[in-house]
Amino acid sequence: MNAPKRGFSRRELLIRSGVVGAAGLSLPAILAACGGDDGGGGGADELFVENWPYYIDPTEDGATGTIDRFVAASGVKTTYSEAYNDNLEYFAKIQPLLGTGKTIDPDIIMPTQWMAGRLRKLGWLEKLPVDKVPNAKNLEDAFKNPPSDPTGEYSLPWQAGTAGIAYNIDVTGRELKSVADLFAPEFKGKIGMLTEMRDTIGLLLLGLGINPSTVTSFNDAAPAFEQLEKAKSDGQIRAFTGNDYMDDLSLGNFAACVGWSGDILQLQADNPSARFVIPEEGGTLWWDTMVVPKGAKNTAAAAKFMDYVYDPVQAAQITAWVQYMSPVKGVREELAKIDPELADDPLLFPDDATRARLYAFADLSDDVEAEFEEAFSAITGA
Amino acid sequence: MAAPVVSRVRNLTGSSSERIGLTGLVLVGVALLAVGARWVSGPIALVVLVLAALVVVGFITLAVLGSPETKRALSPYGLLKPGSLWLAIFYLAPLWTLLKISLSSKETRFAVFPTFSWEFSNYGKAFSDFGPQFTRAFLYAGIATALTILIGYPIAYVIAFRGGRFRNVLLGLVVIPFFTSYLIRTIAWTSILADSGPAVKVLDTLQLSGVLEFLNIMQDGKLINTPAAVIGGLTYNFLPFMILPIYVSLEKIDVRLVEAAQDLYSSASRAFRKVVVPLSIPGIFAGTLLTFIPAAGDFVNAQFLGNPNTTMIGNSIQDQFLRQNNYPVASAMSFVLMAIITVLVIIYSRFFGTEDLA
Amino acid sequence: MSVMTKRGRAGRAALNLFAAFGFLYLFLPIAFIVAFSFNDPQGKFNIVWSKFTLDNWKEPFSDRGLTDAFVTSLQIAAVSTLIATVLGSMIAIALSRYRFKGSAAYNFFLVLPLTTPEIVLGSSLATLFLGQSVVDFGFTTIVIAHAMFQVSFVALTVRARIRGFDWTLEQAAQDLGASPVRTFWKVTFPLILPGILAASLLAFALSLDDFIITFFNAGSTLTFPLQIFGAARVQLPPQINVLATVILVVTVAIMGTGSFMGERRRRRLGQTA
Repeated sequence: MNAPKRGFSRRELLIRSGVVGAAGLSLPAILAACGGDDGGGGGADELFVENWPYYIDPTEDGATGTIDRFVAASGVKTTYSEAYNDNLEYFAKIQPLLGTGKTIDPDIIMPTQWMAGRLRKLGWLEKLPVDKVPNAKNLEDAFKNPPSDPTGEYSLPWQAGTAGIAYNIDVTGRELKSVADLFAPEFKGKIGMLTEMRDTIGLLLLGLGINPSTVTSFNDAAPAFEQLEKAKSDGQIRAFTGNDYMDDLSLGNFAACVGWSGDILQLQADNPSARFVIPEEGGTLWWDTMVVPKGAKNTAAAAKFMDYVYDPVQAAQITAWVQYMSPVKGVREELAKIDPELADDPLLFPDDATRARLYAFADLSDDVEAEFEEAFSAITGA
Repeated sequence: MAAPVVSRVRNLTGSSSERIGLTGLVLVGVALLAVGARWVSGPIALVVLVLAALVVVGFITLAVLGSPETKRALSPYGLLKPGSLWLAIFYLAPLWTLLKISLSSKETRFAVFPTFSWEFSNYGKAFSDFGPQFTRAFLYAGIATALTILIGYPIAYVIAFRGGRFRNVLLGLVVIPFFTSYLIRTIAWTSILADSGPAVKVLDTLQLSGVLEFLNIMQDGKLINTPAAVIGGLTYNFLPFMILPIYVSLEKIDVRLVEAAQDLYSSASRAFRKVVVPLSIPGIFAGTLLTFIPAAGDFVNAQFLGNPNTTMIGNSIQDQFLRQNNYPVASAMSFVLMAIITVLVIIYSRFFGTEDLA
Repeated sequence: MSVMTKRGRAGRAALNLFAAFGFLYLFLPIAFIVAFSFNDPQGKFNIVWSKFTLDNWKEPFSDRGLTDAFVTSLQIAAVSTLIATVLGSMIAIALSRYRFKGSAAYNFFLVLPLTTPEIVLGSSLATLFLGQSVVDFGFTTIVIAHAMFQVSFVALTVRARIRGFDWTLEQAAQDLGASPVRTFWKVTFPLILPGILAASLLAFALSLDDFIITFFNAGSTLTFPLQIFGAARVQLPPQINVLATVILVVTVAIMGTGSFMGERRRRRLGQTA
């Protein structure tokens, strides 16, 4: 073995301490850089939008997506994230921050209208800079001043949709028309329902002849919960899903399920045997809204974005891809220029008769909502 | 002036230094635990931290000035300190806050910080509302553990006694599948067990569907979204945690012992039962703990492979925490799960020590 | 060897066959994962085989969200493994080199985090982080959470690996005039380094893969498993399989090289230290 040289250990020590020192210096830097505190740099030139997945037309197949068109038109550097998967889950994530007076990174988030109502009541939303959103006047009358936002100052609808019955005609062998079809014994173990409480319970209420817009207490809705509980323990229901019902339906894992109107048109592209129907008893109506969380840095940029998507020309592009109901006036005419078939689709532009069969779930008070959610989560088994 | 102190320090014996070292470790650990668990807060917390820092300084002084004996006695505590402190703050303190929140209630539905109020009803709720989930969790975990023993023991035996030169390679083969993500592995099972997937197809061709339906392994023609699928997933994911400990204890057995036993008992299976099995029991126990405990708290398998009637306590805790915002009850459920399992671990370590877990 | 009866031989064969099936069982999902990385799924979920394609491998990073989450996972794993290796190795050395008061109790304490269900670890850490405002849920909390269970793991693994270490070597070095520090760095450390490296590699893999604990403490940060879980409700792109296969191959390669080099070294030195 070679004898170590005299000064070697000191040099080694210096080298080692240098390495450690560098690591020590750069560690906080790494942590800081990688931490979520980077956020938007402030000002009207940056924007962070948090949306549901597949809820905006992307840039593909030669078409430029709305986000890219917006960036080009306004010069606002936009980060678009699709991590909003579930209203309650997202709420749990932002609660420790917004609930203690801190801010979250996104400047615009897209809760469903009832969640927007909850956020508004908690004081976690900024008032929309409506003076900077002139196109807000294009909002369809039906969506003005809803119970979740009576003054209309805190939210602007993004897209609206209905929940109804989606089914695979190859598996069912027949057309389905009513909520009762979901409980048909021949479909045992092949029924799916949504984890979105208001859509599932709303549909069941309609099936039982109860109007979901008028429930005020848990007792009003108890029959639906009982029906659901029984279906679950009998094994009628295979799973409670979010957006993932689409593949199950396509594969035939579900004969039928509660589904959303906009998804079906896309589903049919994958599998022509997919069908969607608003049950004869009625369907539930919901809409997702753009809101600005409290303390958002880039409210000016947010306003620009909202103004942009409320232009009927741009809104038509969005609707052409996501295929949900647009809350913007004039979209039908614009859509007719791009895709005439879609412009006549009753699921996107329901006629009066269909509209009469769509019911938005009642705005529940906090205590009652807690009861509903507790009962529902007990059934979904979580 | 410091000379008498220094010489006093120098004269410390080994065993008294040990006591000082241990006390110092415990003191600093408790101090950090106190701050982390918020037994103290505000200015008092600051005082506690300063005291802890002083203890550390004193420790270092001792180590520097002390006799070589003292140095030697104190060095283990010095080495242990950083890691232990990390664990004190991030393992023990959280358990305390978990307990505290489990006895709290929320003043308003969306308050971020629950307030402590000796709310024992949370525990009542945990048992009454989620009793089935608790039972299912322990049942599925128990069955899965039994299955891992059934499948894993022969594999460990073959590697230990028939492996020869390829032992390490075979062990590597056992471990390699688990370098893919846990989630992805479970999702792969959704592929394999899918209604239109290979498993169902094979079973249909072999005409075994009826048998499996009778055994309730298949339900209504489905392999997936059944309790069997959940148990299968649990078994698969925790198999190496059973194979490795059993292997370790089997490997320690002297082959000549087995040969002697075979000569004596004149039957390989008797030799096995009377000699090999008893010697491998520590491994089986270690494997049982390493399999049963995580399986009982799992929710991934139930989420992907189960149906609404197969949810486990893990699913419920996750839902209450991350969707229902019900931190108090969720913490109670978590704590109950932990308590039951800690009791098992204590019983185990009483009998077998913790050496074999390593 | 004792006389083998015909039944004994059949029993032997049966056992070997069983073990072979066991290994097949272990590798079945892996085969699926690798195979499906070549799949071109019909819908958005890569669950049913549709047709063969090499496109996924040509563009493994086409899913931005997935790739970003993967990078985040790597960063987190790097930092937490570093912390855990240092702290854990120190504990391991203390435990195996010295006999001291409280070592048995300490042993027990060290095992506890590994025998606590992940859901309890995750949820309890979440309650710790909830009640304070110093650190927000995110990168830092995930690193802290990972390092916590990794410390136990590294400590126990390294201790097992250096169990046979001959500590009198240190004494010999010191008799030859080396200071304790020097002895450590020049004698002890190089010899226990393989054990430490192996433990830290395993810890790194644990951190990359951790789901449950991370799920509770991540806030809005997305790690690779979290991204898969969140997105799994809407899609399962084949890129997941591609990335998973890559991780697998790389880890196996590192492990293989490590043990191969260890074998060569051992053969060169003539015997184990």
